[in-house]
Amino acid sequence: MKKDLISMDDLTVDEIKDYLRVAHLVEAMSDEERYRLLPGKIMAAMFFEPSTRTRLSFESAMHRLGGSVIGFAEQSATSVSKGESFTDTIHTVENYCDIMVIRHPGEGTARLAAMESRLPVINAGDGSNQHPTQTLLDLFTIEKDLGQISGITVAFVGDLKYSRTVHSLIRALMKFDVTNFILVAPESLRLPKYFMMTDEPDKYHFYETNQLEEAISKCDILYMTRIQRERFPDLLEYEKVKDSYLLTAAMLADAKPHLRVLHPLPRVNEIAYDVDKTKFAGYFPQARNGVIMRQAILTKHLGVAL
Amino acid sequence: MSAVKNENMLMIPKIKLGIVIDHIPAGDGVKILEIISRYEELKDVPITLGLNYDSKKLGRKDLIKLQLEFLAPEIIQHISIVVPGVTIKAIKEYKVYSKVVVQAPKEIRNLLKCKNPNCITNLQPGIETVFVAVDENSDQVKCNYCERIFDRSELQPIIK
Repeated sequence: MKKDLISMDDLTVDEIKDYLRVAHLVEAMSDEERYRLLPGKIMAAMFFEPSTRTRLSFESAMHRLGGSVIGFAEQSATSVSKGESFTDTIHTVENYCDIMVIRHPGEGTARLAAMESRLPVINAGDGSNQHPTQTLLDLFTIEKDLGQISGITVAFVGDLKYSRTVHSLIRALMKFDVTNFILVAPESLRLPKYFMMTDEPDKYHFYETNQLEEAISKCDILYMTRIQRERFPDLLEYEKVKDSYLLTAAMLADAKPHLRVLHPLPRVNEIAYDVDKTKFAGYFPQARNGVIMRQAILTKHLGVAL
Repeated sequence: MSAVKNENMLMIPKIKLGIVIDHIPAGDGVKILEIISRYEELKDVPITLGLNYDSKKLGRKDLIKLQLEFLAPEIIQHISIVVPGVTIKAIKEYKVYSKVVVQAPKEIRNLLKCKNPNCITNLQPGIETVFVAVDENSDQVKCNYCERIFDRSELQPIIK
């Protein structure tokens, strides 16, 4: 039976652990061994909206597994712009490939594609709903950097109200018994309260602050996100808060020695360039881990057992 | 149908042939009436709405009587989604010849419209909507596509 990857909510902890296990195996392989995993297989990268990093990461992953890639990078390059329905595009493209990677601004699009197609479908982001490969690569990065996931303290910084990446990662970390969260955000971009509601209120601790400095010495992972100007109804408010969430190397003086700073990228002005040279900078290796995790995902979903 | 008057109150009489929607929690009768009013086929059916009757089971209840022989399954399903737990009785010759307590289904297919304008079910015509109950005791449902969670009662029915 074909296997899709649509939503983190579909996955059990054991299933998530298996993605991590396969990613570690893929990483340990030589380039030649990896290149022999998916020869002759074709991945369709169907990007109905631009997303350069996610698309290139998937394409790189597939090429390095010995497979090949077809696809498009924006909707204007497809028959959808001529009026073709999404489902017709799916039924056509499924004849050209072995697996479909779909990015679409409409929420639920990947689920619809998975229901319609006989091929495995990987969700590479559907509007503000899900982006499971980002969450899996974040978990992989944390496990690699710290040697464990459970029991750590994670600080999230920036736009906690709208960030799909943050929401999905918090839910996944809770499944892995991460119980301490520090939430650093301006008043207007705080994490929605329903994320903090659980059946076990004594188990999970959410500490909210608007002071970035307060979080740095207490956490094991400092997960930075971009504060988007367009999220502020009042631009004066944006001007006021934008620099208070700028991480500099000097601010990391009291950080735990093993702290990792992560960021889904692209960064704008949340992390100063002087942080790049510190031992704490984990965001570029995180992008590399993205390719490895996507290799693990493609391998698993194309039925190659590792 | 004529109302029978006793000294203290105006009673709604028994009906010879029709459908009675009973055990409606007080205040919810108008919600069901609102559903019924959306169906063209019920436009000319005589309907009686009773509010705030005494009820052993509920304390107070509402009641609706419709003078028609048969209530279409899709209308019953809509009622079960908006006000689960009501009893629907079919009456013949003044007697109840069948009754059913309707419960909201765990999965609701193509009866409710997703409220999220960016959900694919609202972006591409012709996709069957699917909502799944969040848990047994909750009135909340999750859209199978965009994964947003809503109260069942805030979703508009799809009238075919």
